[in-house]
Amino acid sequence: MAYLARTLRKRVFNPSLPQSIRQTRAISTTTLQSTPSTCTARNTPRTNKTRYSLPHRTYHSALHARLPDHSYTNSQTAILTSALAHVPAHGFTATALTLGARDAGFLDVSVQLFPRAEFDLILFWLASRRGLLRGHVEEGGLFRRIAAEKGKDVHELTVEERVRGLLLERLRMNAEVKDVWQDALAQMSLLANIPLSLTELHALASDILTLSGDDAVDATWYTRRLAVSAIYASAEVVMTRDPTPDLVGTAAFVERRFEDRNAIADKLTGIGQCAGFGWNTAIGLGRSWGLKI
Amino acid sequence: MSTMSTRSAWRALHYSAKRRAFQPSTPYRCFSCANRTQEQKTDNDRMTHFGFTNVPESEKESRVGAVFSSVAASYDRMNDLMSLGIHRLWKDHFVRSLNPGSCLPAMTADQRGWNILDIAGGTGDIAFRMLDHATNVNHDMETRVTISDINADMLAEGRKRSLDTPYYNTSRLDFVEANAEHMPHIPDASVDLYTVVFGIRNFTDKQAALNEAYRVLKPGGVFACMEFSKVDNPVLDGIYKRWNFSAIPLIGQIVAGDRDSYQYLVESIERFPSQEEFRGMIQKAGFMIPGQGFENLTGGIAAIHKGIKPIVKA
Repeated sequence: MAYLARTLRKRVFNPSLPQSIRQTRAISTTTLQSTPSTCTARNTPRTNKTRYSLPHRTYHSALHARLPDHSYTNSQTAILTSALAHVPAHGFTATALTLGARDAGFLDVSVQLFPRAEFDLILFWLASRRGLLRGHVEEGGLFRRIAAEKGKDVHELTVEERVRGLLLERLRMNAEVKDVWQDALAQMSLLANIPLSLTELHALASDILTLSGDDAVDATWYTRRLAVSAIYASAEVVMTRDPTPDLVGTAAFVERRFEDRNAIADKLTGIGQCAGFGWNTAIGLGRSWGLKI
Repeated sequence: MSTMSTRSAWRALHYSAKRRAFQPSTPYRCFSCANRTQEQKTDNDRMTHFGFTNVPESEKESRVGAVFSSVAASYDRMNDLMSLGIHRLWKDHFVRSLNPGSCLPAMTADQRGWNILDIAGGTGDIAFRMLDHATNVNHDMETRVTISDINADMLAEGRKRSLDTPYYNTSRLDFVEANAEHMPHIPDASVDLYTVVFGIRNFTDKQAALNEAYRVLKPGGVFACMEFSKVDNPVLDGIYKRWNFSAIPLIGQIVAGDRDSYQYLVESIERFPSQEEFRGMIQKAGFMIPGQGFENLTGGIAAIHKGIKPIVKA
């Protein structure tokens, strides 16, 4: 209950939420009823504040509609979308952005809409591909395809197989910008850009796991996201130097990393069991010697 | 005795820099019609601030004019002393972030080069920097700047300085004496980039100037403004206020021989709206705000505001 109250205070109201859900929540939480004004007051600056442009919610909720993949305005989206067409030729550069602005009917000077310049282009690429991945799952029947490749039924796919499939699908989306992706990685690793890049990486890992049906709520919530993020980030670097068609080399790399992950998980479980065993033995031995423990 | 004589000698040396006596024009007195006198009265009643004092709106323009006529000659030296040279960093950053000039070949002939309007840029500080950036960084020889200022003395100073630049007497640089609140000589939707640097706080009606900027800009054009703003760190703010109100009028008195003008400068800085308020004014004029809308420089002593005129799809 206390947890619910805490999260509700932070939450962003979504007008599209069904009225019934909102009412039940309001009735069950006294905090919310007593401070409706602070709720709106806190929400107003959040919409204006764009230091972190990725839509951000501090808790997970299955009851609320999903936040949009990015918070760019219509004009910005128009420019960025047309700029992406120039990325394979010009890379994630200000040139691509300027050409995109021209294509969208804006002036050269209009790239001032993007305070982060080319990094905005990279962020938009990441966010829009993430949205596309979700689209593939929800409408495109991506899992059915993966299951067919393995000769299984969709329901027989394990969570890990789904995660692997989604991760590879996401990597294949990068194929067209493979040659310029190293520059983008360099941009993302600039000190000022690291927080947003990591936020985006976490969003991707979280999306992949959620879409795969991972519903862990214990400590593995963190380790799984960490593992998926680490595998994706390293696979991206491998991908930029992968000359094989359809990224076969990268796929093999991902397979090996998942095996590593499982091996590490096994080892850690084993070590934990061993330590627990040893501890119990030590306690039992002490008791048998007459120690008061 | 000796101090008296040095002081008078000092004043004589700086006679040209003295503030001109302000003489309001004779009020219109027509005894046969009551309309005009009434209009005059309502106009006089609308007050605006001039530093910390309130003056009628009709007077502010000429008062500000007197201040800047007085400081024109020593403007650059005074800026260096007052900001400890930091204003050059701000201006360089401002121009670099705008990145004027196209490095890509234009698609059509009328798109070649940017048409930049530099408001209140009398001494050409920003204009020369922008032309330099366009030429040297983007290799764009077409970008042109129109310097507009309400004050003839400041423009004269800019003209004098343009002699030392490669843009003197070329079509890339132009000087216009105009009031930024009303510029009928500039057609609608004709400007790519509208800049006003450390000028807008002196305008009588800032919203009118913003609306006029919106009118002259092409759709997709950018309004960029650098202005003194509010410091968010209380410690820095304390030091900054002390510097403003104690040191700057003193420097003005010693170097430019004019304490009152610099007293006005610091008071006008104090009266200028905060970052958020000014962003609201830009939004009110119809501009789109990119991201946060402003960028603080040196902890908020100055801030760069930007707005983009939206494209209306037919």
